[in-house]
Amino acid sequence: MKRNAAGDGAKSRREALPALRQWSGPLTQDLVLHPGNFGLGRVPARLKPDATTTLVCGFCSTGCGLNAHLRNGEAINLSPTTDYPVNLGMACPKGWEALTPLRSPDRATTPLLRGRPGADLQPCDWERAMVLFCERFKDLQRRFGAESIAWLGTGQIVNEELAFLGALAKFGMGMVHGDGNTRQCMATAVTAYKQSFGFDAPPYTYADFEESDVVVLVGSNLCIAHPIMWQRLMRNKNRPEIIVIDPRKTETAMAATQHYALNPKSDLTLFYGLANLLISEGCIATEFIVRHTRDFKPFAEFVRQFAPAAVSAATGLSIAQLRRFADTIHRGRRVSFWWTMGVNQGHEATRTAQAIINLALMTGNIGRPGTGANSITGQCNAMGSRLFSNTTNLLGGHDFLDAGHRRKIARILGFRENCIPSQDSWAYDQIIDGIDSGKIKGLWIVATNTAHSWIHQNRFKKVAEKLEFLVVQDMYPNTETVQLADLFLPAAGWGEKEGTFINSERRFGLVKKVARAPGQVLSDFNIFRLVAQYWGCSEMFARWTSPEEVFRILKECSRGQPCDISGIRDYRMIDDCGGIQWPWTDENVTPSTERRLFEDGAFFHPDGKAKFIFEQPRDMPEPLDAEFPFLLLTGRGTSAQWHTQTRTNKSDVLRKLFPADAYVEINERDAAILGITSGQTVTVVSRRGRMEARAFVTLTVQPNQVFIPMHYAATNQLTFPSVDPYSRQPAYKACAVRVETTTKRVA
Amino acid sequence: MLTGLPEAEPTRTLIDELLAEQQQLTAVERFARQHDEAKLPAQARYYHGLIPLDKPRPGEQYAFAVDLDLCTGCKACVSACHSLNGLDDDETWRSVGLLQGGTAVEPYQQTVTTACHHCLDPACLNGCPVLAYEKDADTGIVRHLDDQCIGCQYCVLKCPYDVPKYSAKRGIVRKCDMCHGRLAAHEAPACVQACPSGAISIQLVSRTEIGHRCSVPNAQLLPGAFESSYAKPSTVYASRKPLPKNSRPVDAAVRRLEPAHWPLVWMLVLTQTAAGMLLASWLTALLAPQSFAIGKGALAICAFVLLQLGLAASVFHLGRPLGAWRAFLGFRHSWMSREIVAFGLFAIASGVFVLSALSTTIATADPVLSGIVALLGCVSVFCSAMIYVDTPRTSWIWSLTFPRFFGTTVLLGAAGAACTLGWADPLSNTVLAAAWAATAIRTALFVWEAQLLLRPFDPRSNPRYSAALLAWQCLKPVIVARIALFVVSTCFGLLGIVMSGSLAVCFATIAFVSTFSSQIIERYCFFVNAAAPRMPGGAG
Repeated sequence: MKRNAAGDGAKSRREALPALRQWSGPLTQDLVLHPGNFGLGRVPARLKPDATTTLVCGFCSTGCGLNAHLRNGEAINLSPTTDYPVNLGMACPKGWEALTPLRSPDRATTPLLRGRPGADLQPCDWERAMVLFCERFKDLQRRFGAESIAWLGTGQIVNEELAFLGALAKFGMGMVHGDGNTRQCMATAVTAYKQSFGFDAPPYTYADFEESDVVVLVGSNLCIAHPIMWQRLMRNKNRPEIIVIDPRKTETAMAATQHYALNPKSDLTLFYGLANLLISEGCIATEFIVRHTRDFKPFAEFVRQFAPAAVSAATGLSIAQLRRFADTIHRGRRVSFWWTMGVNQGHEATRTAQAIINLALMTGNIGRPGTGANSITGQCNAMGSRLFSNTTNLLGGHDFLDAGHRRKIARILGFRENCIPSQDSWAYDQIIDGIDSGKIKGLWIVATNTAHSWIHQNRFKKVAEKLEFLVVQDMYPNTETVQLADLFLPAAGWGEKEGTFINSERRFGLVKKVARAPGQVLSDFNIFRLVAQYWGCSEMFARWTSPEEVFRILKECSRGQPCDISGIRDYRMIDDCGGIQWPWTDENVTPSTERRLFEDGAFFHPDGKAKFIFEQPRDMPEPLDAEFPFLLLTGRGTSAQWHTQTRTNKSDVLRKLFPADAYVEINERDAAILGITSGQTVTVVSRRGRMEARAFVTLTVQPNQVFIPMHYAATNQLTFPSVDPYSRQPAYKACAVRVETTTKRVA
Repeated sequence: MLTGLPEAEPTRTLIDELLAEQQQLTAVERFARQHDEAKLPAQARYYHGLIPLDKPRPGEQYAFAVDLDLCTGCKACVSACHSLNGLDDDETWRSVGLLQGGTAVEPYQQTVTTACHHCLDPACLNGCPVLAYEKDADTGIVRHLDDQCIGCQYCVLKCPYDVPKYSAKRGIVRKCDMCHGRLAAHEAPACVQACPSGAISIQLVSRTEIGHRCSVPNAQLLPGAFESSYAKPSTVYASRKPLPKNSRPVDAAVRRLEPAHWPLVWMLVLTQTAAGMLLASWLTALLAPQSFAIGKGALAICAFVLLQLGLAASVFHLGRPLGAWRAFLGFRHSWMSREIVAFGLFAIASGVFVLSALSTTIATADPVLSGIVALLGCVSVFCSAMIYVDTPRTSWIWSLTFPRFFGTTVLLGAAGAACTLGWADPLSNTVLAAAWAATAIRTALFVWEAQLLLRPFDPRSNPRYSAALLAWQCLKPVIVARIALFVVSTCFGLLGIVMSGSLAVCFATIAFVSTFSSQIIERYCFFVNAAAPRMPGGAG
């Protein structure tokens, strides 16, 4: 390596006394960079690849392309893929660290079995695990009926596995009820879109971030929850107005041009108020409304009650702020509305999402570049789960209640039609109620951590004791949920298997096998194959031999649907195109990389029109009172944390990027009243539980509100179990608590 | 209950097949990608505007520039640096912190990213005893020569930004080198390549300008960062929005215990005891040759043994002790080098002194040789103290360090003398004098330390003494132990004075041992309680 001498004097001195200063040696060599080839730039010699390949990330729904640096087929390092149309060469820390959780010594290597309640989980082989799995579940079905076993799935596994699980459970094993953890993040968007547009169809493409002149972010801390989408927004050349609606001064609110720190859960009122302002000022796209929507008139009638003064009182925003907000929307030529969990996880979430959709419809901000009512998804394959998990929808976005749909799917799969249930699944909360009431006796949990993430967690833990048989399938045997399991099945993780994810903008992306799973670990896909074999229904799934085979089946299921992907030839085509957004119907044409829906103004209801849907706002289910005077907000802590942290906790680097212990953000004024200083341990108490947390005194949360990140196991001991009546998504973001100092109780 | 198992192949079940399949990696043959080798790295299209086109001209250097308005807290820079440089699992060269402030109406928060500041006057380089740092003449990058490093970690104590990171596994320190290998090839450093909003860039800055910028009174990189005048950091943090005056790091109030450095604790107390006893030996030779003769140099011999133990302890502090022979190289600017040289001379001189004391048949003292040894001892202790004084840690300023180090020296010197000489001649006045001296010094030090500890409760007290607050919060058992040891050593010391005969010597010995223990604890506190300046940290 070439080195610059520090002047002639230094040079000669160095030459004269070579042994005095060691300029090279094994320790130095360790960090010396060499051309890595494959367009990578320089890398340390020991990390020099002999091939590279792109796979999409397995954390969030952004769906970034990650370039695996391979040696002998195995990934030795990762960097974001420069030319992947989603992330354009960037990734958040989770993406950079995606390989680390795979190598964790915490990985399970064999199935584990709990001999008797209270005993430790003990290793067993697959044979024993599968025999027991089938014996116990079949026994329960014999005693309590086919419906007595259910499953809880995920948005973290590939489409092909989701479909296999859903088909195996419902069509092969005779289950009726199954749901996924996507209920906790995306159910509201699904319901809102279905009712408003006629199909669960997020209309946007990420280029819309770059093309808007007004960007409205509702309940979304994009900077840390979806940093790469924020990156896309930062590429916007129109100097857009960025409006953030969030009770907290989040990172995103800091970076916005307008921040409206409204009262929590007053957003529905706010949007109706805005609609009223826009209508009364005549700032609406009348022609679009007439041609492409229906029920606008009753909507306009309805929102008249939301006069600025009343909205101001409810939201805590001034009338001037409301007018400025409305004016900004009106003046924008390309206004895009984006929402995330701040909307989806509310007691009237579906109507709130639809209030956002209504704003986009009435201002004609849909179907054009830089517009849209856009739900930003959570998990890497929440979108896949919405179409292919066979829970709420029959495979491919079909309806279990529709005989025609059942016939179509049965024909494609080659199954008897009567093996497809003609009733809807229970939602997540109903399945838990079903366990409580004794209707569900056996549960199979796949790739989710219910005992951490479910709202009012203590109740779930208590209810789970009523289960006669609980099977948990996961990468790690130390999750909170595995602690409750009777049988544990060790699953391969992202990067140890193949399949497809669908990201937020409807883009199919490929997951590839670039790492070896440890020990006896099997991919979820292969675990399902085994279950089919041992259950005795392997003939039904004779075609389901590989993920790509199943992908072909899913293509068939999608044909004729709004999510039609019959034009995606194979995995190779997805790889070559940098992902492909649904719909795509022509195998012989290469799709353009960024496509949005509704450019023709045609929605998916039979009449082709979008619907204005609205309803009177309701009070928060758990109001504050003297005993519990604080409103608890929950949400993402940092960009380095993922949900229940089963994976992000495994990386030393990520662990440096977030506080190890739970903390509670509390306003300076409240802290002063309670005598709390930053760093002090306090107890946060709700009617359902209590947790210790370190106080973090700040101005970014408002008085009478506290914020605790969702990643800490104790957080959901506090949350109040209410769900949106339409989407049945839990309202994680508002419950009443009090904060106690350790020495005395302070109300 | 085994339904549907393939019976035709009893030897190879579906389980076997699936397990075998799971181990097949398929990505390469199915999807490996071809690249045009001749082209620039693919990422260049994003970072070409973020690195200078030209090499630094004379008088210029590379510097990190951070646009705070573009940094929104994704922290990708930290992991990208880790991944692209192939750092150890728990090793990070870049870190992020959070500033908060503002008003209730307009709250303020700002994520800040920080790595090595490639200072104009690098404190790490100035402190390194083996010249394992080099400020590159052309680029200004402060490079660490990993194979030269002996793992003394003095740079860790010297850097006001917590940049050098010690790896126990490797026995050396490593740090950010601004990806100099990438810059030399016109590639951007890892953090620059990875920032989704382009907030980090490399700029050419004039060294004179850095000097000017840093010499403005109270100049600092960011709120909460150490005064820039100390090392003259080159990094530029810029924002179009002025930072609110009250913004400060969210971890400003966090009190951490720093590493104890046990080998150094033992080394310092043992060598200071030795220096003190040899000082006492010289005083005895000078003032009471009679006692010296009776003691037959016992004091010197004991001191010599303690000195060797202390020096041996110091070796355990080094990650790569075999390179320690190079420690003289930094003599021109490193107090660590000077200390090592001073202790070397001290050890040799005291060895000669002991040999001469043992070999002389006539038990007379040589005040000159003894004086030289005592002087070298004091110089060594002085160098030891300067090592810590010459760092940016506020609890190691000279007025707090010298009394501790020389206090320990004279206290343990006197107590050691009372004990050692007492065994030779319990009734001598020298022993009594030493015992009285030990009692007086012990009491004086106790009073001095007590007022330091109590000072933070005075609202007018200097915030610099907040370390004492930490002591109260985190080190209560330690303080209690020291008070107890003070009482024990004082009581036995006084008993040794009033009693006579071998009992008195036993008491004097107990007094010495308890005093020594107390000083070990004192030195432990000295290290763990020395709050290190850092760049703003996070809520963790």
